[in-house]
Amino acid sequence: MPSFKLDDAEIPFEPGDTIIRAAERVGVDIPHYCWHPGLSVAANCRMCLVEIEPPPGRPAMMLDVLEWDAEKHDYVPQKKPKLQPACQFAAADGLVVKNQSSAHAARARSAVQELLLLNHPVDCPICDQAGECRLQDYWLEHQGTKKRMRDEPIHKPKAVVFGPTIVYDAERCIVCTRCVRFCEEVAKDPVLSVRERGNMTEIVVSPGRQLDHPYTLMTEYVCPVGALTAIDFRFKARVWFLRSVRSVCVGCATGCNSFTDYDPRSQNVHRYRPRHNAAVNQYWMCDEGMLDYRRIHEQRVLIAQVDGEPIAREAALARAADLFAAAPPETTAVVLSAEHSLEDNFALLELARDGLKTQNIYFSGRAPGEGDNVLRDADKNPNTSGVRKLAPQAKPFAELARAAEEGKLTHVLALGSQAPSDASALAKIKHLVAISTHEGPFEEHAEIVLPAASWAEAEGTFVNRQGMTQESERAVTPRGDSRPAFRWVHELRLALDRPPAWKKLGELRAAMQPPALPTGARP
Amino acid sequence: MSAEPLGPRKVVGTPVARPHRTAAVQTYVPEIARGLGIVMSHFFTNTKEMVFGQRPDPSTESVEAGINTVSYPEQKRPYPARFRGMHRLTHREDDSPRCVACLCCSTACPAQCIHIEAGEYPEGDPRRGYERFPKRFVIDELRCIFCGYCVEACPCDAIRMDTGIHAAPYDSREQFIFEKDLLMSFTGRDGSTLTQNPRHEPADTTYPGVTREKGH
Repeated sequence: MPSFKLDDAEIPFEPGDTIIRAAERVGVDIPHYCWHPGLSVAANCRMCLVEIEPPPGRPAMMLDVLEWDAEKHDYVPQKKPKLQPACQFAAADGLVVKNQSSAHAARARSAVQELLLLNHPVDCPICDQAGECRLQDYWLEHQGTKKRMRDEPIHKPKAVVFGPTIVYDAERCIVCTRCVRFCEEVAKDPVLSVRERGNMTEIVVSPGRQLDHPYTLMTEYVCPVGALTAIDFRFKARVWFLRSVRSVCVGCATGCNSFTDYDPRSQNVHRYRPRHNAAVNQYWMCDEGMLDYRRIHEQRVLIAQVDGEPIAREAALARAADLFAAAPPETTAVVLSAEHSLEDNFALLELARDGLKTQNIYFSGRAPGEGDNVLRDADKNPNTSGVRKLAPQAKPFAELARAAEEGKLTHVLALGSQAPSDASALAKIKHLVAISTHEGPFEEHAEIVLPAASWAEAEGTFVNRQGMTQESERAVTPRGDSRPAFRWVHELRLALDRPPAWKKLGELRAAMQPPALPTGARP
Repeated sequence: MSAEPLGPRKVVGTPVARPHRTAAVQTYVPEIARGLGIVMSHFFTNTKEMVFGQRPDPSTESVEAGINTVSYPEQKRPYPARFRGMHRLTHREDDSPRCVACLCCSTACPAQCIHIEAGEYPEGDPRRGYERFPKRFVIDELRCIFCGYCVEACPCDAIRMDTGIHAAPYDSREQFIFEKDLLMSFTGRDGSTLTQNPRHEPADTTYPGVTREKGH
């Protein structure tokens, strides 16, 4: 593999790489604002300037400059090397690049920082980007000087509403055009553009339009400063209070990799951030998925119910165990859920096989929605492939509804909250026990409701539409009386006196691994 | 080490004469009368000073040597100049809170006693985009350890501990939960409410009026 030298390190690169991309691959950070690995190169922020040594035997390209000499009290002619933007300069074999070791590059970066902050309002206390802002980080790393300009800075529009999700502050904007490029290249909706010149530049929405394509929150995500802020997250939290876990978006079958940011003090999830996975979502997520964290807190089932009345969870469990202890296997059914993780479904499937001895396996999930060919899938369930692989014999929800309508089912244990189609037939089932996270048809028609922990409150494995098995970590503790669905199944089996072979999540996963897990590259 | 001789040890030191108890002491009566005399003399002195307003104020005048009674809460000992008392929130000139709800105080607070919910000015407000304000600002004064970090952390001079009020003995926990209105009603010991750090932003009287259209 060809390689070049960056400071003291030897950096391998693939043909077509720029210096910054090759460095990023091996985890070396060259400071940058406008460059983003998922977007085209603009090379307009000039933060990634590096010094490139001339080829052996060739003179360096030097520029004539005037330097201020404090002793002579005059400008004196000097020479300095022509610096190159690392984001645009193609890597070549044997190249010698000076990044941190170049005093010229360090000076240039300091000057770029000073220019970017010249008209910046420095309103970090009220800026939502504070704490994860490149301007703050790079000021500390590359500038560290006070503002020298004594003038009132240029004033530009503030708190401009770009659309239903995004607010724009032109004074904080460094016009890196990441958002413009994102809309054009990834979202395929070139609704943003740059207006005016010099220090009056600002980002504007096309006349007569709003920033309302399905990927608007990514413009906020790519913004390296606080110019674009999400209305949903605006003023809600300070990022330094938040902790992150690696999660998988459960909004659709794509299974975008994400970070779940939550406040450990209040145990509230505040946002999702996309997590890079070249095979699934690259760097992006859709608005629907980004805002899906709200479902963790909204319309949840948090207390066990019997006939619609809240009840202690032990009592509800005892009632459910009584029901299924005497259930005839022919009219007993189990409903798996594509909304839930493999662990939950596997535990339930095992209960059906070993505990209830029934062959009636169905599966349900959320109704299909809108999809596109960027990221969003029409299947709004995170684990359809997983359930299909786990239980190929499982019949779809429509057949469950038909069987219920015909009165063939008396005892049904259902996982999940939503039904893909009309679920009024569920009312005909004599004894329906639902393990549900959210309010929905199952919770509505169930005789006994056991509150299940949501995806953010339990570890889980999901199989996306590509057949990739992905793990999602637990962010917060289960709310209310809820607990992971596989835990409910475990307790139910103990109460039925048919205990499973596993006790802990690790043992459950080990039990599930060989037969149930589809093969597929892990990210 | 030499062996100590057996038998009773010799007492060393100076013998002290036992008090001579006279009949007057033994009967207690004169001593009781003398003690009552001291009590009554203090009583009449205090009463006279209170009635004629002659008592020295311990918060302004140096107190006399010996035991002095401070009639708290009417009288208070003087607090040092940098005494950290109950918090207050400073005002802007239009009596809105100077606080911009940045949560720096809440971040710095080691006792985690400050709870703030940030709000945004509505569309059309001149401060919209420039500032935000605390929708709620709550300090749990029971949790507070009066370290003063919040005051140090505040970038806006919005929170101060110069009220001169110390933690009061309320009779229920709820009374220690200080909300924004209460915190804003306190004044400094000099009686001031205004912030010393105005921002010169739109809606401030000191705003220079420079806009995009109207330059310098």
